[in-house]
Amino acid sequence: MSLALGRRATLGAALAFPALGAAWAQQRFDSLFVFVPAAPGGGWDLTGRAIEQAARTAGLVGSFQFENVGGGGGMVGLPRFVNQRRGQANALIVGGSIMLGTGITGKSSVTVRDVPAIARLTSEAGVIVVPAASPYRDFAGLAAALKANPGAVPIGGSVAGGIDHVMLGLILKALGRSPRDASYVGFQAGGQNIAAVLGGQVQASISGYSEFSEQIKAGRLRALAISGETRLEGEGSDIPTLREQGVDVTLANWRGVFGAPGTTAAQQQALASLMGAIHATPQWKEILRTRAWADAFLAGEAFARFVEKDIADTEAVLKDLGLA
Amino acid sequence: MDTLAALAGGFATALTPTHLLFAFVGCFLGTAVGVLPGIGPALTVALLLPITFQVPATSAFILFAGVYYGAMYGGSTTSILLNTPGESATIITALEGHRMARAGRAGPALATAAIGSFVAGTIATLALTFAAPVVVELALKLGPAEYFSLMVVAFVAVSAVLGASALRGLACLFLGLLLGIVGVDLQTGQPRFTFGMIEFLDGIEVTIVAVGLFAVAETLHLATRRKHGEDEILPVQGSLWLSKSDWARSWKPWLRGACIGFPFGAIPAGGSELPTFLSYYMERKLSKNPGEFGHGAIEGVAGPEAANNASAAGVLMPMLTLGLPTSVTAAIMLSAFQSYGIQPGPMLFVTQGDLVWGLIASLYVGNVMLLILNLPLVGLWVKILKIPTPQLYAGILVFATIGSYGVSNSVIDLLVMYGVGIVGLFMKRYDFPVAPAVIGMILGPLAEQAFRQALTISQGDVTTFITRPISASFLVVALLLAFGPKLWSAWVATQQRARA
Amino acid sequence: MPRHRPIAGEVACAVALVVIALGALWQTAVIPTSPIYARVGPTLFPWIASSCLLVIAVLLLVQALRTGFGVEESLTVDWRSLAWVAAGLAANAALIGTAGFVFAATALFACVARGFGSTNFLRDAAIGLVIAFGSYYGFEKLLGVNIGAGILQDLI
Repeated sequence: MSLALGRRATLGAALAFPALGAAWAQQRFDSLFVFVPAAPGGGWDLTGRAIEQAARTAGLVGSFQFENVGGGGGMVGLPRFVNQRRGQANALIVGGSIMLGTGITGKSSVTVRDVPAIARLTSEAGVIVVPAASPYRDFAGLAAALKANPGAVPIGGSVAGGIDHVMLGLILKALGRSPRDASYVGFQAGGQNIAAVLGGQVQASISGYSEFSEQIKAGRLRALAISGETRLEGEGSDIPTLREQGVDVTLANWRGVFGAPGTTAAQQQALASLMGAIHATPQWKEILRTRAWADAFLAGEAFARFVEKDIADTEAVLKDLGLA
Repeated sequence: MDTLAALAGGFATALTPTHLLFAFVGCFLGTAVGVLPGIGPALTVALLLPITFQVPATSAFILFAGVYYGAMYGGSTTSILLNTPGESATIITALEGHRMARAGRAGPALATAAIGSFVAGTIATLALTFAAPVVVELALKLGPAEYFSLMVVAFVAVSAVLGASALRGLACLFLGLLLGIVGVDLQTGQPRFTFGMIEFLDGIEVTIVAVGLFAVAETLHLATRRKHGEDEILPVQGSLWLSKSDWARSWKPWLRGACIGFPFGAIPAGGSELPTFLSYYMERKLSKNPGEFGHGAIEGVAGPEAANNASAAGVLMPMLTLGLPTSVTAAIMLSAFQSYGIQPGPMLFVTQGDLVWGLIASLYVGNVMLLILNLPLVGLWVKILKIPTPQLYAGILVFATIGSYGVSNSVIDLLVMYGVGIVGLFMKRYDFPVAPAVIGMILGPLAEQAFRQALTISQGDVTTFITRPISASFLVVALLLAFGPKLWSAWVATQQRARA
Repeated sequence: MPRHRPIAGEVACAVALVVIALGALWQTAVIPTSPIYARVGPTLFPWIASSCLLVIAVLLLVQALRTGFGVEESLTVDWRSLAWVAAGLAANAALIGTAGFVFAATALFACVARGFGSTNFLRDAAIGLVIAFGSYYGFEKLLGVNIGAGILQDLI
């Protein structure tokens, strides 16, 4: 699952952020321990390595140490981090929205609530696409069909209960149907979802924008709606948001970092301001650009509130789906 | 011809000293990680990703492609010599290959694997050069219904590995199917057979089970019999090289393996294991002396090895032409493309022609390089068998540990591997074949998910499997494979009786 | 036909399979049923696989009792060897989480080599240490992967 995320990213949509940290380089930490609860190569791993890349170049951190423990959508690594790094001021764990869902469906005893929120870094909106030859010219057409009989419109995405499924559930709810009525087809990571919608096996498909961006550009897939608060910037800016089209649903796959449990508020603040400084480096901007990650920087208290709200929203949909 | 001109340009890129060096390092590294069980090309490429910050795109991809191809070569080496499959695609190789090694024919087994990989890799690269867009469009015509029917064909092919007793073989197959169920269900998100353990949510890794059943079980088994002094590996005898009859028996399986493997790489649900089963089945059925299978038939090494290398090249097709990763390694290579700000897809050949053709040319170069690298190594590799038994088996278990624990850092994985090894010990003692268990574990989830995806798409209409022409023809093939030979011999018998 | 005397091991294997099949049936029964609209639920395949296994296991049990599997006569088991190898595996599993990969693998190597008849325990431990440390170092330095540092983390 995390491998699929690695390929997800979004263009544009930089959120407003407060200017944190100093513009000039000054070493903040001698060493930083970064725990990645996923296998190397996935989205979380790349986020962790990008932090290293930017911080090292700018001389903000002396040395980095990484540990990858994958599995269960981050839920195998998280308890381990919580147990082994309690009170460690220079420890970070990479995580994101995927963790919320798996924490709830897996009924895990340790959740994201057990680690202090430090900063959100990137986020990616989901997109609904149909094959070029599809009779659905726009979202209204698809919405009408979904409203009439959701069961007759097979829609592809990642594993059931994952973020793509949650998005479909939210849309159906907004359309006045039950999320349970969806004809959702779960696909294993590794391009099966793209292949299925390209070949017209499913009528529509949901995933992160980057997953489909090339096919959209080449005209083989038509993007009907995007799930962000605002439209994308630059490439893909012609795709209307769900909200614009009268469906009040916003959902994004965000990634960020959390600290170790048992650390003091001052220690957490130090990490948050380090992330602010990293965020301000030109290297970070460069990485965001080449990776096509959307900047979604949000630190400290505001981020913690955001996480709480996201947990509540996800939980509500998963309850409707019978998974929570 | 445009393609040829572009390819020539690609060779100009690939044959510079720097790029040759990158190709060499990639091939070498790939062979090394291929040898280690559980550590495959996907992980290696993932770990090498930071290199994308330092070197230009073309160099990085030449390196990655070398790793990818190299791992396919290396994986077979440990399968043959130590009965420890390095990759899931080389599990089948262990069946005949290790038998050959035990009979003192490790040299020819390794040689036919290396040359077969070269032949198939080159054929598949040629096909990639000239036919990629066509094959990919055809692959897109296959949906879940077709995948399911294809799995039915594969299940028929399992009969080739059931061993002496069909009952015991089937018991293993169903055990494998049950192991494959462990994890979160893709279609409903429900955990199955996880016993409430988060570690099992992603399912059990096939390589862990394979290494447990092959290497750990083998070691335990030998330990129980040590005082009888049997089961010793025979010293390598005769030539390390292929004899005339080895060549004669190998070349057709190579070609057939290449033809089976390549298209599978292009299908998102194919994987590199499936073509190896099918190739093995085919060689067993076509062989003039099927009795040799199970005791070290060279065809059973040549075919599957060719098939897995061809499928590796096949995987690159949808990745380069559509940006569609059909394997984990391809998914990580895609991520590497992104770190250069390049999106593989329909436009890639146009916007990044130099890169793509350089990469394709380097695949030809890499193949030649791997052959040159591997053939002399055969002599070196077989020396592994000269290590005294105590240290050899101790070493095998240490490497099995690295494979299962090193990457995941999970003691649970290690315990699963040992547990499976203990089960494997009993299986060996009472002559239960291990291959059906591993195959069941790989095929089961693929078949189940495809079946349910197809039914969700058809809104519950079971006839989807026979009304879709491609799916129907796969089912016909399965029927013919299952009952054809019997019907044919019955028909021949009646004809003879009529004549008599 | 002379009456077959059942072999304990064969019967035990068949019984174990029956138990596994029953366990699988039980686990299938507890898979939470999802209210999600799905044409085929998550339990169909597990039902098929576990009930087929049950049928086969029962047939095997009958076979074991009546005719036997027809596998060659058993040789006496070398318990000493097996115990050393098993001890190595157990030591590895126990140590790897705490002491770390290098020490766990060294213990594993030495015990297994001893099990296979090597007499020089210290030499084997030394070889094991070199192999384990070499692998650890190679992974750490070349690929940046930590394969379980354990107490080594504080030593170097």
